[in-house]
Amino acid sequence: MRKPVFKLTALSAVLAGAHGFAQAQAEDAEVAALTAPESSVSVGLGYWSKDRPRLGTYDGMREQGAYGLLDAWINTRDERTGTWFTLDARNLGLETRELRADWLRQGNMGLSFEYSRTPRDEPYTVLTGVQGIGTTTQRVPSPSATALNELHLGTVREAMGAGFTKILGGGYDVRFSFKSEDKTGDRLWGRGGAAEFAAEPINSSTRQIEAVLAYASKAFQVQGGYYGSWYTNHNSLVDTALTTGASPFFLSLPLDNQAHQVFANAGFSLSEHTRATFKVAYTRATQDEVIPTGPVAVFAGAPAGLDGRIDTMLLQAGLTSRTSATFSWLANLRYYDVDDNTPQVRIVQTGPTCGTCVDNTPLSFRTITGKLEGTYRMIHGVSLLGGLEHSMQERNVPVGNFNASGVDLQRYVPFRADLDETTFRLEARRSLAETLNGRIALSHSRRDGSDYTLTNDPRGDQINPIHIADRDRNKVKLMLDWTPLQPLTLTFNLEHAKDEYGTSSARPYGLTEGSAALYSIDAAYAISETWQLSAWYTRDHTEANQLGQRNADGGAAEAVKDAHLEDIGDTFGLGLRGKPMPKLKLGVDVLYSRNVNKYPETLTLTGAGTPYPAGSVGPLPNITNKLTRLNLMAIYALEKSAELRFDYIHERWQTDDWSWMFADGTPFTYGSTTDGTQVVQAPKQSANFIGARYIYRFR
Amino acid sequence: MSRTLLFFVTAFLAIGAHAQDAPKDRVLTGDAKCTRCHDENDSFPVLEIGKTKHGTRADSRTPSCTSCHGESAGHMGWKREAGGTRPKPEVSFSKTSKVPMEARTQTCLACHQGSSRIDWQMSAHARQDVTCSSCHQVHAARDPVRDKLAQSDTCFACHKEQRVQVNRPVHHPIPEGKMSCSSCHNVHGGNPKQLVRDSTNETCYTCHMEKRGPFVHNHAPVQEDCGICHQPHGTTIASLLKSRSPFLCQECHSDTTHRSQAGALPGGRTTSTGALGSVGRGCLNCHTNIHGSNSKENSGTAGRFRR
Repeated sequence: MRKPVFKLTALSAVLAGAHGFAQAQAEDAEVAALTAPESSVSVGLGYWSKDRPRLGTYDGMREQGAYGLLDAWINTRDERTGTWFTLDARNLGLETRELRADWLRQGNMGLSFEYSRTPRDEPYTVLTGVQGIGTTTQRVPSPSATALNELHLGTVREAMGAGFTKILGGGYDVRFSFKSEDKTGDRLWGRGGAAEFAAEPINSSTRQIEAVLAYASKAFQVQGGYYGSWYTNHNSLVDTALTTGASPFFLSLPLDNQAHQVFANAGFSLSEHTRATFKVAYTRATQDEVIPTGPVAVFAGAPAGLDGRIDTMLLQAGLTSRTSATFSWLANLRYYDVDDNTPQVRIVQTGPTCGTCVDNTPLSFRTITGKLEGTYRMIHGVSLLGGLEHSMQERNVPVGNFNASGVDLQRYVPFRADLDETTFRLEARRSLAETLNGRIALSHSRRDGSDYTLTNDPRGDQINPIHIADRDRNKVKLMLDWTPLQPLTLTFNLEHAKDEYGTSSARPYGLTEGSAALYSIDAAYAISETWQLSAWYTRDHTEANQLGQRNADGGAAEAVKDAHLEDIGDTFGLGLRGKPMPKLKLGVDVLYSRNVNKYPETLTLTGAGTPYPAGSVGPLPNITNKLTRLNLMAIYALEKSAELRFDYIHERWQTDDWSWMFADGTPFTYGSTTDGTQVVQAPKQSANFIGARYIYRFR
Repeated sequence: MSRTLLFFVTAFLAIGAHAQDAPKDRVLTGDAKCTRCHDENDSFPVLEIGKTKHGTRADSRTPSCTSCHGESAGHMGWKREAGGTRPKPEVSFSKTSKVPMEARTQTCLACHQGSSRIDWQMSAHARQDVTCSSCHQVHAARDPVRDKLAQSDTCFACHKEQRVQVNRPVHHPIPEGKMSCSSCHNVHGGNPKQLVRDSTNETCYTCHMEKRGPFVHNHAPVQEDCGICHQPHGTTIASLLKSRSPFLCQECHSDTTHRSQAGALPGGRTTSTGALGSVGRGCLNCHTNIHGSNSKENSGTAGRFRR
């Protein structure tokens, strides 16, 4: 058979050309669709079947009921000028609503505006007769209230921010940002003078400003600027008393403070493989408000205001270099000095001379840290890393009131003026094969310091405070990343750390040892081109042995306490994503978390008496928290630019936390003859959510 | 006349059709040599970069494919007849890439070394061979790691401990999308723990400024490091505490009287301080201003954060 021969006649050329032109146009449109920024608006409604006091702490959906689901992502670009306008609006139908708008002429300048509202609903319900909650005058029932009001405490942060950026040319640019936040509400508090209920009234504002001038070239980058922050508390003192007027306690609140920082940060690439960096920052933080007192006795010599001032200086320099294809190293030196220049003054003195007297206790500390690290890349994809870090800290709290022996009578915890810590690190990384990578890291650190400055309490001197105690810390980390089959990836993590605290016969108490272990496996499996499965499981286990002495008190004998505290967590996650039909996407997420906290404490009695004070029951029982959450999601494409999304969530939370319980499981009640406040939580919380959204996408 | 017109129309369209055969740039200046093979149907979809800042051609600073991937002559010039497999581009960013980590990172730092990335080479991430593409999806219209709600998924790929901690009953609002890891961490920086500010406390003060003081009665560990008592990623204890009262307080305090009490629950209503260290707010039932107090009351208890 004769093959057809295509002749480019004038007509066929016209047709071919016209077809090509149309095809090109269609292709251009397709490319434009694939490359033009996309926007979307999502409108819907959701419903929670029950209250969620614990799991709804932050998401603005604590109560049973219907919620509006409204989100928008508007993202446009003018192709000619490169001007973007972006509006990211989330949770507009919820208390957690937030919005950010950006206008940006790319490569020139940008403006932004931000609004955010963050509620935090206290997961407990307070049943109280305390009067004046929410104000600065609170009265505790005396005798105990029998008619209790239900309170749901919580706070709301409402923040607004703005930003400006401008590229000045020649490598220079400026950035300016401002953020203002108001925080209001109430939180769990106490009356201080007695274990009675009060709620801290919160009504404060913060402001933050940052202005930065930066320069960047290929080899040299530098930025410097100013960061200022201000805290303003609209309350300063809370007047509390019993309803009878007895036992007035005036509780102080945080006072206004502010900080001003100037800073600079530079990096210089000395060569292709060597870089030096430098950072300097100086901050002056002050608190000089007149201290409110209320109608209470005040020591005549106490100042009207603290005149508090903390000056902080940071100097940091680093050098890193790859001296050969196989060896690179890093050196870093950091000087961080927190110098509390608040004048030391007497606040409390009840007699003509210092009997019971209290001075303020400004704490200054200066830390110098040096670090040296080298990485050697050997053959067969093996890298070896060795590091040494040494930090030296000088600490100072001026002695305010010492006796003839030089012991500070107002010191409650032994103190160390010098603290040193040295850490050695060794790590090996190896790409074992295209599909297998592994890493093992070992570190050992030793912390010790100068002799302790003693307190006025011989018993108090027998402890090694956790943050300044002698400590040996050993850590090991193993990681394996394995792709046994093309669609399957497995990741294994194993971490173990062990702390041993230095004790002596003269100083036996405090933490003696601790450990933390983590075992984790992650798997990701591509079942097919349209279905992906992922799953993970993590077990974490921390332990701490804590030794202490207990004084004879309330009928209980003097004793040595030996607590073996444990936290064990098992967490499992699963995710499935699929596209069973071209128009349908499905998703499943499961999260299960179980945490057990153990508080066994052995008492070895060393005197006459009972193990526990009359009426108290110990040791403390275990606490188990369980969370199960199932999320189902389906997205159905109505058309190219419109989708329907359905969500179903089932969540269940369970606890036997005894924090607000008496030993027999009944609610803890404040006071014995006064107050009567109870703080309760639902030990089992289970709720279901259904939601439907219409999502419209456009360009 | 009509023949002449037909000739010119034919010639114009034919030239147009011919011109269409020559590959043309689709997204980035000079991308034709790549996009003639790579499009959204390819195993390496690339066109979505057009939706990003990198794809804004009006900005003269934006790159072409070769700015990041190199000229890649071997990749371009490979012929099937030569056998073997097509060499990868000069700079590739996949997990199995043979390109040294520093070289991959340097590709991005050539333009992005300034601002919060000045200290990148000193950062813990850089020293662990983390590259920009370990976290960022440069071609994606919305890079998940730059989205407040999605960001933590990227971080949790390595930070397993923090993944379980944020799912504990007491946590910062990270799962709810009100905060992200980068609210506190500058993952490109050289600060200890890669924090956004120079120390733990300075970072915490950006939201908890009332704790900054200085107070009339300071609590020394509060001034020193919030992390001595708090675990910011999540715990099972109220206020993100690392341990429960009285054990937490007794890590430093071993004094006489009620401060030395053993962990126990009261059997009923009581005002005995020796029985209240574990229940309710524990030691804070009375020492309520534990972060510091501004009381000037002429009473010894004022110095113990009870006013």
